[in-house]
Amino acid sequence: MRVLVVEDELRLASNIAEALRQRCGYAVDCAATGTDGLSLAELGNYDLLLLDLMLPGVDGFSIVQRLRRSSNSTPILILTARDERSQVIQLLNAGADDYLTKPFDLGELLARVKALIRRGKGASNPVLETGNLSLNAVEQTVRCKGQLIGLSPTEYRLLEYLIHRPRAIVSGRELLEHLYDYNWQHHSNVIEAHISNLRKKLRAAGEETSIVTIRGRGYRLEAPEKQI
Amino acid sequence: MKKASLLRQMVAGVLVAELICAALLSGLAVVHEMRGRLRAFDVMLRGRADSVLGAIRDAEDPGDNAVVDPSELQVPDQDIYVVVDPSGRVLGQSPGLTEQLAKALRERATEPYFPFRSGGSRYRGVRLNGVRVIDRDDHGGIRRPVLILYASPSYPIWHESIEAVRFYVIGGIVLLGATGAALGWYLRRKLAPIEELAATAAGVSPQAWEFQPPAAARTTRELAPITDAIEHLLKGLRAAFERQRQLTGDAAHELKTSIAVLKSSLQLLTLTPRSATEYERGLEGLLLDTERTEELAARMLALARLEEAVAAEDETTNLSSAAASVVNRLRPIAELRRIGLSLVAEDDVAVPLASEDAEVLCSNLLMNALQHTPAGGHIEIRIRTEEASTVLHVVDDGEGIPEAALPHVFERFYRADSSRSRQSGGAGLGLAICKAMVERVHGSIDVQSTYGSGTEVVVRLPGCSQAAPGPLPPTQSADRSVSKGSL
Repeated sequence: MRVLVVEDELRLASNIAEALRQRCGYAVDCAATGTDGLSLAELGNYDLLLLDLMLPGVDGFSIVQRLRRSSNSTPILILTARDERSQVIQLLNAGADDYLTKPFDLGELLARVKALIRRGKGASNPVLETGNLSLNAVEQTVRCKGQLIGLSPTEYRLLEYLIHRPRAIVSGRELLEHLYDYNWQHHSNVIEAHISNLRKKLRAAGEETSIVTIRGRGYRLEAPEKQI
Repeated sequence: MKKASLLRQMVAGVLVAELICAALLSGLAVVHEMRGRLRAFDVMLRGRADSVLGAIRDAEDPGDNAVVDPSELQVPDQDIYVVVDPSGRVLGQSPGLTEQLAKALRERATEPYFPFRSGGSRYRGVRLNGVRVIDRDDHGGIRRPVLILYASPSYPIWHESIEAVRFYVIGGIVLLGATGAALGWYLRRKLAPIEELAATAAGVSPQAWEFQPPAAARTTRELAPITDAIEHLLKGLRAAFERQRQLTGDAAHELKTSIAVLKSSLQLLTLTPRSATEYERGLEGLLLDTERTEELAARMLALARLEEAVAAEDETTNLSSAAASVVNRLRPIAELRRIGLSLVAEDDVAVPLASEDAEVLCSNLLMNALQHTPAGGHIEIRIRTEEASTVLHVVDDGEGIPEAALPHVFERFYRADSSRSRQSGGAGLGLAICKAMVERVHGSIDVQSTYGSGTEVVVRLPGCSQAAPGPLPPTQSADRSVSKGSL
């Protein structure tokens, strides 16, 4: 998952980014101005936007309005130091999905981020299942028939993203975009290497669900026939 | 506490004036009336005395005496008269005249008309010297001078006068009452716009600033200034209130954000188990965050203090030495960033600022310049006196300020470039503090900037008379370069 943090207080932005990277394994980009935030949000493929309200350049409220007007449906979590009710109502009506007032609890922020991403993908249960595989987004663990499979953070993020897009073909480029922030020098062979490791680990655990390579187009998570 | 009523005071004032007028008029009228009545009474007395004179007859006695013949006399019964001849012999008197009354009458008859009292009654008398010719014949007859004293009770005059007074008093009271009532009603009606105005003004609150005065409040000459004053006051209050609300909001925002940084930094540390070095690094970061929060609080308090307190008039500082000490303090930072720093100052420049304030002013301006000047740049501080004022220039050849941001640089919490100034620890209060400080001593601060080529801040401070430098100080051209950056 890839999250954009638009916050002009750089220390706060870096704290949030670090927490999201460490605890959720997300790729995180930061923008310090509203203008940068808006162009990144419009260009990039983010799974969630964390938006401060008082920003230099374009303010948070305008960003929400402009994204929603251009039918961008990325979930948006607002961070605000002002908790006037009318403002909150206005924000939610403009298309924001949730809000937190500063100073917030980092744990709560992470939980809300995860919940919003889940719901953005159409799944409200934090435990996602396909075949015998069950992925717990809160614990960040993957089990096969109850047995824990030891995955690296990148492998886990790969599987989490694929499991959110059942039966869809996901391109290597899309995976790169959603799993790495823009500081990463991307090469699609990195994805290939991680996919092959993930396949091996799933097979070793006796899992029947497999990641199928569709040449020239991408990857697809396929559960065994009988399960579908 | 009972409030004084303007309406009542006005009515009372009018009534008192009216009462005084009425009393004076009544008094004058009564006096006039009395005089008229007295004159009429006197005329009547004289007439009656004349008729007594007419009733004097020859007494048909050997001494050719005269006598009053009461049968020819038609005078009221209560009147009294005495007729005497020059020898003092009584020729006749009214029938009921007592000894005592006659004595009083004769004693008081020193003037033609005279008042007197006797036996509890007031009388007014007339003294008439007449000549009666008796035994008229061809030779003329005998001329007999007689003195007639005639008096009549004067109570009808007093009675009528008292009646007149009573009439005036009753009339006056009725008139006063009617005037009071009418005046009260009329004034209350005319003063209604004041109450309406007050009610409208009382309805204004921070939630509802609209002020709609009644039409009469604008068209009445006496009320229009009040209405205008209220409107002006409300406008000012509203602006001040909005500014304050904005400011409080901004301050809250800054503080909450600052606390959010602290809290998130702390929580980040406890989120996962960490090594001792990681904790150490985290705590160092936290210390920096705390220092920034501290700095923010200190600056907000400084600004509040500057805006609340009145400048102490007698404090003066040598701006040049304050600037020199700030330059010395910031020189390491400038050298680290490879920025040239020079100070051109007259020797003795007294400004009406406390020494800490003067240093804060210089250091804020210089820090600002340092933050917005890239490596290799140059900052110059110039201090000189111009007529009665001191001018401080802080000129840099840094990045400049975008034109759109220029009008806002002195606003609190304003940052032309957010990311940069937040990184360098400012909360957008530095220039606001400078402005407040300078304006408190009736100075001015201006900023000129060309985006991309540099900024110049000009501070003008009023000079101090007691320590004003001479017109041509010898050090004027001396260039005291404190530090040149190592390029």
